[in-house]
Amino acid sequence: MTSAQPSILVADSDERRQGALRALCQAKGWGCQVVSDASEFQQLVEAGTFDLVIADVEMPGLDYKVLLGHACRRKPSQLLVVVGDAKGSETSLRMVRSNDTDLIARPVDLDWVERCMEQATLSKRQETREQLAHSFVVSERTEMRFSCKQLGEAQAITLPIVARLVASRRLSDNDARKIRLAVQEALLNAFEHGNLELDSRWKEERLGETDRFSAVRKERLADPKFANRMVSVTSWFDGEVVEIVVKDQGGGFSPTRLREIKKNDLSCFGRGLTLMTNAVDEVRFSSGGTEVTLVKRLAATRST
Amino acid sequence: MEFPTEVIGDKGYIHITGDLDSEVAGEALRSAFNQVYSQGTRTIVLDLSGAQIINSYGIGKVLSCYQQLQAQRGVLMVKPLEGFVKETFELLMLDKLLPVDK
Repeated sequence: MTSAQPSILVADSDERRQGALRALCQAKGWGCQVVSDASEFQQLVEAGTFDLVIADVEMPGLDYKVLLGHACRRKPSQLLVVVGDAKGSETSLRMVRSNDTDLIARPVDLDWVERCMEQATLSKRQETREQLAHSFVVSERTEMRFSCKQLGEAQAITLPIVARLVASRRLSDNDARKIRLAVQEALLNAFEHGNLELDSRWKEERLGETDRFSAVRKERLADPKFANRMVSVTSWFDGEVVEIVVKDQGGGFSPTRLREIKKNDLSCFGRGLTLMTNAVDEVRFSSGGTEVTLVKRLAATRST
Repeated sequence: MEFPTEVIGDKGYIHITGDLDSEVAGEALRSAFNQVYSQGTRTIVLDLSGAQIINSYGIGKVLSCYQQLQAQRGVLMVKPLEGFVKETFELLMLDKLLPVDK
């Protein structure tokens, strides 16, 4: 099996389905690896070299939590298809709901599998083209703006510039995770402490079923004066350094000393700045504390 | 987003199957915790192997669960931590706080 040849991993203990999928792959020029052992499947799926993974969620020994974990970590171009029963077991439905995973009901429709293979081939081609194009980028600048209301409903924000640097292998996965963490912390600060003017200490003041922080946060997200304030995220890459500027429209704050981290500290707040400063090479505050700049140098250009 | 839970013997397990770095994920953890806690389980194990990132918000939610259990003489444990999540716990000096369920 060569890396240019698309490949499929099938986890299924049903010999008839195994045979049918093998024949389909052979006809389409795909590599095909079939496993009926759950531990072997786990090793292969974690290696992440397959373009399409088809797993029977009811295969003996196959822990659906392994599948869930893989579904969260897989490359965007890799398709994961779960084989379940016609109505969808609770487990398989839960996977589909929470992880952007396709569910195919038994008996497996080979035409449907063939369409999945075509989709996986297109995704792989697109990924290869993008990798090549992004490896030539000399500089790039993007700006995103969010209202507090939008940020209150959003899950984690991913910066396209970072995704492209990872795709073109100019940034490691670990450095990308660090940037993402720093950006999340900066966004949280801008959103909650900047624009919504919330005080972290309120997190430990109980108000019945909730805490004061959550209660005031909810009130302010319903108040246009706070909810319509914007946070902007400007990302800039110059070939050596990634700079991300997060700016809010709040009253600003004074970035005094980092809070001292103590062993086994049980406070539920106050760690954001520590995480941010450890995740990137430089953190600068400006504009009266309404703007923070995160700087990450690419590994190849970092001085040792 | 929801995190699967299970109770085996006297331990409840919460399988974190995504990053703990947003309010949505934090609320999913709180909901999973309440589900296990309401069954009377006072030893709860967090399996963070499906998370690649945990931020200050996620850490705050974990510690809130820890405090709730501690007040009831319970214990919050973790499956062995790995990768960047482990680095984050170590950086914040919380890696020795939660006993490890091996």
